[in-house]
Amino acid sequence: MKRALSRWDTRITPYLLIAPFFLVFGVFGLFPLLYTAWVSLHDWQLADGNQGFVGLDNYAALLSDPLFWNALFNTVSLFLISTVPQLLAALGLAALLDRGLKAKTLWRAGILLPNVVSVVAVALVFTQIFDRDFGMVNWLLDLVGIDRIDWQAGVFSSHVAVSAMVMWRWTGYNALLYLAAMQSVPREQYEAAELDGASRWRAFWSITVPSIRPTILYTVVVSTIAGLQLFVEPALFDPKGTAGVGGSDRQYQTLTMYLYEKGFRVFDAGYASAIAWMLFVVVLVFALVNFMVTRRSVRES
Amino acid sequence: MRNRTVRVAVAACAAALMGTGLAACGGGSGSGQTRITIATFADFGYEDLFAEYEKAHPGVKLENRKLEFDAHHSQLATQLAGGKGAADVVAVEEGWLPKFRGSKDKFVNLADFGAKDLSGQWLDWKWNQGVTDNGSYVLGVGTDVGSLAVCYRKDLFQQAGLPTERAEVSKLWPTWEDYARTADRFAERKPEVKFVSAAEQVFLAMLNQAGEGFFAKADDSFIADTNPKVRAAFDLSAGLAAKGRTSGVKPFSQQWTVGLKQGGFATEVCPAWALAQIAEGAGEGAKGKWDVASVPGNGGNWGGSFLMVPKQGKNIQAAAEVAKWLTAPEQQKKIFDKTGNLPSQPSVLRDATVQGKANEYFSGAPVGQIFASSAESLKPNYRGTQDSLVRPKFQEALLRVEQGKQQPPEALAQALSQSRAELK
Repeated sequence: MKRALSRWDTRITPYLLIAPFFLVFGVFGLFPLLYTAWVSLHDWQLADGNQGFVGLDNYAALLSDPLFWNALFNTVSLFLISTVPQLLAALGLAALLDRGLKAKTLWRAGILLPNVVSVVAVALVFTQIFDRDFGMVNWLLDLVGIDRIDWQAGVFSSHVAVSAMVMWRWTGYNALLYLAAMQSVPREQYEAAELDGASRWRAFWSITVPSIRPTILYTVVVSTIAGLQLFVEPALFDPKGTAGVGGSDRQYQTLTMYLYEKGFRVFDAGYASAIAWMLFVVVLVFALVNFMVTRRSVRES
Repeated sequence: MRNRTVRVAVAACAAALMGTGLAACGGGSGSGQTRITIATFADFGYEDLFAEYEKAHPGVKLENRKLEFDAHHSQLATQLAGGKGAADVVAVEEGWLPKFRGSKDKFVNLADFGAKDLSGQWLDWKWNQGVTDNGSYVLGVGTDVGSLAVCYRKDLFQQAGLPTERAEVSKLWPTWEDYARTADRFAERKPEVKFVSAAEQVFLAMLNQAGEGFFAKADDSFIADTNPKVRAAFDLSAGLAAKGRTSGVKPFSQQWTVGLKQGGFATEVCPAWALAQIAEGAGEGAKGKWDVASVPGNGGNWGGSFLMVPKQGKNIQAAAEVAKWLTAPEQQKKIFDKTGNLPSQPSVLRDATVQGKANEYFSGAPVGQIFASSAESLKPNYRGTQDSLVRPKFQEALLRVEQGKQQPPEALAQALSQSRAELK
């Protein structure tokens, strides 16, 4: 009896211990996911509820909706402009911090600081900095004799401004992750490389980067998921806030902003759910591609 | 039981405070008090009145929630749809009211709380904007009306060689075409200052003088593409934008405030409620530099709001009482004195102190005369039920012209096609 109990114990306890996570995930993760899929197959109005099953009509409408493709383009463009330089800069920063600096802790804490500032505050300040008439960036451009830029107006200029906020917030965070990984690279490898006459640059690309590839993989996947769901920064960059459409011609409306517009301003919950699922698929595809590309290169090394 | 709830609440608040340093732990409803929340946007001038009401009604605590104009209304729509989260009393602007009239069952019929007996207090047209079902369903009670005027910077006018006295300035622009010509004259001498903050201000003012805008009064059909008044308003305001006479900031936004502070705009379209916002935005430094002239074209009404009571509230009786009290004549008079928001009731508009009121910030402009004496003869503009959905398309179109992304005809065509797509 006692033995049976203890066998049960060893068998079941692990499941009991991980159960809370799966319960919470089921309620707040899986259920909304499936429910959203269900809603997306209906003509579903936020105020009046279910108006009947329409099959894949919402998806068909979405695929021929130029505003959806515009939002998808903006999302991918913002993701690329903000993530690629960000991760490269983080890598560089981490390499610098990995060398013997004075007041190490100060620098390390310092680069994380932007990440703990409220995103709303960051967005408000950056919107001021990129203001056409009284912004600091244009003031600086003026000083060096370059024409002022109406950052809000253009597609590329607005993407640069929004990406600047994202980079500001996340570069330091990623740098710290890289730094942690770099510190576990055995120092002997560098010494050996030095003896072989390798330059610092060469050592960085041939020793440091290959050694921290798992961490790079992690940051790439996480940044992809977060970047494709970008909402607060571009929404607050619009002077109309969440009541706007991402500029005068939707030049920086992301997929989540379009989802918000359809779901919570036009009240078309069915259509908004279809956007949500398309976004899910896009994120999945990007994450898988990233995963495979980065993993292959990890293996190769 | 009640004590226990309070204790738990206090503990929870304390925990929340330690966690975030931000939780609002005052004014709970635990100690037998009824807490009524009132959601507004802009400046309703309610702070002092809340204290007064609480003094007269010891069991009631009033709390203001304030948001930016568009965010306030779209959030309210979401809260109504979701069935929770709305304040006990909500302010709704007349441009948004038709949209909410469509979901009238989400609001208390204030006739059930004696509002109908008070109907004689209001200007007829104001009262009628707030009711539906041939007047039997009272959705909202009126706060203020907007009327129309033009505010201008005397010092900038002087530097541009234009007259500065309000009577003479009014003579500069009997029509909007004259206003646009004045903008050209101004730009010759002071090209670094924009004549008006945004083209949409001129566009909306002209529409508000039109009687009928995007939708037909007769059957609520979409007529923006055929209504010559929409066309005229768009052409004139887009013309100002294309010439660079407008700045292109979003009115009443942070950038707008910065522009005001820097003396970046020579004029601003001024419904009565805008005076308080300009004074607040431009700050003490610009006191006495602003003045108020008459609006080009006919009189018109822009804005003005209603207080409504969502059915989802827990204390609709108390909320209805608050709404009635805040819109009563005595309160409207005090609000006008404090903020300049124009009363919507004849008895107040005819009041000698209201008529004699001057606004110190605006160089002692006789705002009582300018706004109050004409308010009774105003004819309101018809708003379609989808007005709030279509209007932004035209505002975005004007912004595209201001940003140099499109020429006026192209921008208008896009606004019209987007509107039609939205209405499908």
